[in-house]
Amino acid sequence: MDKNLIKDLPNFKLNKKPASHTVKEVIYHIVGIILSLIFLFPIIYMIATSTKSESAYAASAGSISMFLPDFTNLGTALDNYKSVFTNYGIWRYALNSFLYAGIVIVLNVLINGLAGYVMAKLVFPGKRLLSFMIIFLIVVPVETSIIPLYSIVKVMLGLKQTASVIGIILPASISIFNIFLFMQFFQGVPKEYEEAARIDGANTMGVFFKVILPLSKPIIATVAVFCFIGVWNDYLWPSMILPAPGEGEWPLYPIQSALTTIQSIEGITTGEIMASLIVTSIPIFVIYVAAQKYIVQGFGTAGLKM
Amino acid sequence: MLGTTLIILAVFLAVFAVIAIVDIVTAKKRKEVYRVKSSATAYLMLLPAIILAFLFILLPILYSLGYAFTDYYLLKPNDIKFIDIQNFKQFFAELGERGTLYHAIKNTVIFVVGVVPLQIGLALGLAIFVNRPGKGAKIFKVCFFAPVVISLSVTSYLWLQILSPSETGLLNSILGVFGAEPRDWLRDPNSAMICIIILSAWQGCGYQMLIFLSGLSNIRKELYEAASLDGASAWKKFTTVTWPGLRSTFVYIIITVFIGACRILTQPMLMTGYQDHTVTLSYYMYTQGYTYRWVGYSSAVAFLMTIFIGGVTFLQRHLLREKK
Repeated sequence: MDKNLIKDLPNFKLNKKPASHTVKEVIYHIVGIILSLIFLFPIIYMIATSTKSESAYAASAGSISMFLPDFTNLGTALDNYKSVFTNYGIWRYALNSFLYAGIVIVLNVLINGLAGYVMAKLVFPGKRLLSFMIIFLIVVPVETSIIPLYSIVKVMLGLKQTASVIGIILPASISIFNIFLFMQFFQGVPKEYEEAARIDGANTMGVFFKVILPLSKPIIATVAVFCFIGVWNDYLWPSMILPAPGEGEWPLYPIQSALTTIQSIEGITTGEIMASLIVTSIPIFVIYVAAQKYIVQGFGTAGLKM
Repeated sequence: MLGTTLIILAVFLAVFAVIAIVDIVTAKKRKEVYRVKSSATAYLMLLPAIILAFLFILLPILYSLGYAFTDYYLLKPNDIKFIDIQNFKQFFAELGERGTLYHAIKNTVIFVVGVVPLQIGLALGLAIFVNRPGKGAKIFKVCFFAPVVISLSVTSYLWLQILSPSETGLLNSILGVFGAEPRDWLRDPNSAMICIIILSAWQGCGYQMLIFLSGLSNIRKELYEAASLDGASAWKKFTTVTWPGLRSTFVYIIITVFIGACRILTQPMLMTGYQDHTVTLSYYMYTQGYTYRWVGYSSAVAFLMTIFIGGVTFLQRHLLREKK
C-alpha cells in the first residue's frame, strides 16, 4: 500500500493539470501520426501498387485507393510477385546476392579477424608501421578510387566473365575499419584465456580458432550484419564489373544491379516493378528487425570512424 | 601496369623491411628479443589481409594519384604516357567552356547546399520529437527510420514511379485532383534536382536521427531539470542545454552527410541518366572513367574531388570545434 503511494507520487505531480496534459498528449500523437504518414507514404504506395494489375492501378489513379491494396481481387493480389519470380527470375539474382554476401561474410570475418587479433595480441617487428597504416587508411577518403580499382580488377587481374565474381568478393572481403573493430575488441579479451589454452599445448592459430573466435560472437555478428547489408545493397560496383545477364545462361548480377535489367524489360507493369522492389528490400528489412542489437552496436562504433 | 605495380610492391616491401629492422635493433638495445617463430606466425596470419589491402585499398589510392598525370586510356593499358598537368588544364578548360563539367559542379553544389541542411534539420527535429518515453514515440521512431532500410537503387526506382510523367504517376495524379496538368518532374531542369534532394533526405535522415538520439541520451537529465527550475522556455532549453550537448554529434553528422552528399551518383544515374540538368561530379567522373574509358582524366577529377572534400572536411571540423 505504502509502496504504491510512493510510486504514484510522481504521476500525481504530473497530473496537477490533467486537462492540458492530455490535450498535449493527443496533439503529440496526432502530429506524430501525420509525420509518420508523410514518411511512409512512398512505402505504402509501393506495397499497395504491388498488388494491382496495370488496369487496376490506372483505375486507382488520383484517389485514396492508390494507397490501398486491390481489395476487389484478393485472389490475384500476389500475381505480380509470381510473375517477378517465374517470368523475370528474380530469385536467381537474390540467390547470387545471398551467395556473394555469404562468402564475403566468412572471408571478411576470417581475414580481418586474424589481422585484428595479430595487431592486438602478438609482438613482432614492423607492428608500428602497420598500426600507423591502419589509422591512415581509415582516415584517407577511398571513395574516389573506384575507377582505378576497376582498372586493377579488369586489366591487371584480367578478370573476364565468370571470373569477375572474384572482383565482387575479394575487394569486399578486406575492410580496414573491421580490422580496427576486431583489434579494439581483442584488446579487451583477458590474457588468461589464451594462457590457459597455451598450457594445454595449443599454438597461436589454435588459440585464435578455439578460444578467441568463440569468445567474439558479438563483434562477429556486428561485422557480419554490416557486411551483409553492404554486399546486398551494393549497386554500382557489381554493375561495373559483372557482365549483363544474357539469354539462357545463369546471370551473375546480384539483385540490386538486376533491378536495372528487370526495369528495362519490355511490357513490365508498374505493379511488377513494385513487387521486384519489395522482394529486393525484404531481406534487409528482416536483418534490421532480427539483428537490431548488433546494428545499434555498430552505430556506437560508427563514431570511432572519425 | 604490372611493372609499376611490382615497383610499388618492391618499395612497399623495402620500407617495411627497413622499419622492421629498425624495430629489431631498437628492441635489442632494450635487451628485448623478438621470437622468430611467433613473428613468423604473426605475419602468416596477417598475410591475407596485407595482400588484399595492398591490392584493393593501397594500390587504387596510389594509382588514382598517379593516373591523374597520365593519358591512360582503359583499352590501351600498355601505352600510358606521363602528360604532366594536361588533365588538370583540360578540367579547367572544360569548366570555362560551361560544358557538362560546369553543370556537374553546379548540380553537385545545389544538391549539397539543399540536402545537408534539409537532412540534418529533419534528423534533428525528428530525434527531438521521438526523444521521450512512451509507446507512441517508439512507433514513430520506427516509421521515420523505415526508409533507411531501403537501398538507394530501390529508392531511386520507387521515386521514379512516384514522379512518373504520366497522368497515373502518384504525384501527378494527386495534383491532378486539384486540376494541375501532369508534369515531367525529372526532365524539368527547375524541379529535377529539388526532387532528388527531397527523396535523398527522405531516405537518409532516419540514420542521422538515430545518431542524434544517442547524442541526446548522453545529455544529463539534471541539466533540463535545472533549466526548468529557472523557468526556461522550451527554446531557451534547446539553445542552452540541448544544442551544446549535441555539439560533437553535430560535427560528426555534418561531416559524414557532407561527404556523402558530395559523392551523390546513384540517384541521377538511375532516375535521369547522363543529362546536363542532373549530372553530378561523381557521375561525371564515373562516366569519363568507365563509359568513355579515360581513366587518366577521370583520376584527375577524382584527385581534385578528394582534395576538395578533404579540405572542406578539415575546415568544417576546425570551424565547428573553435566555436565551443
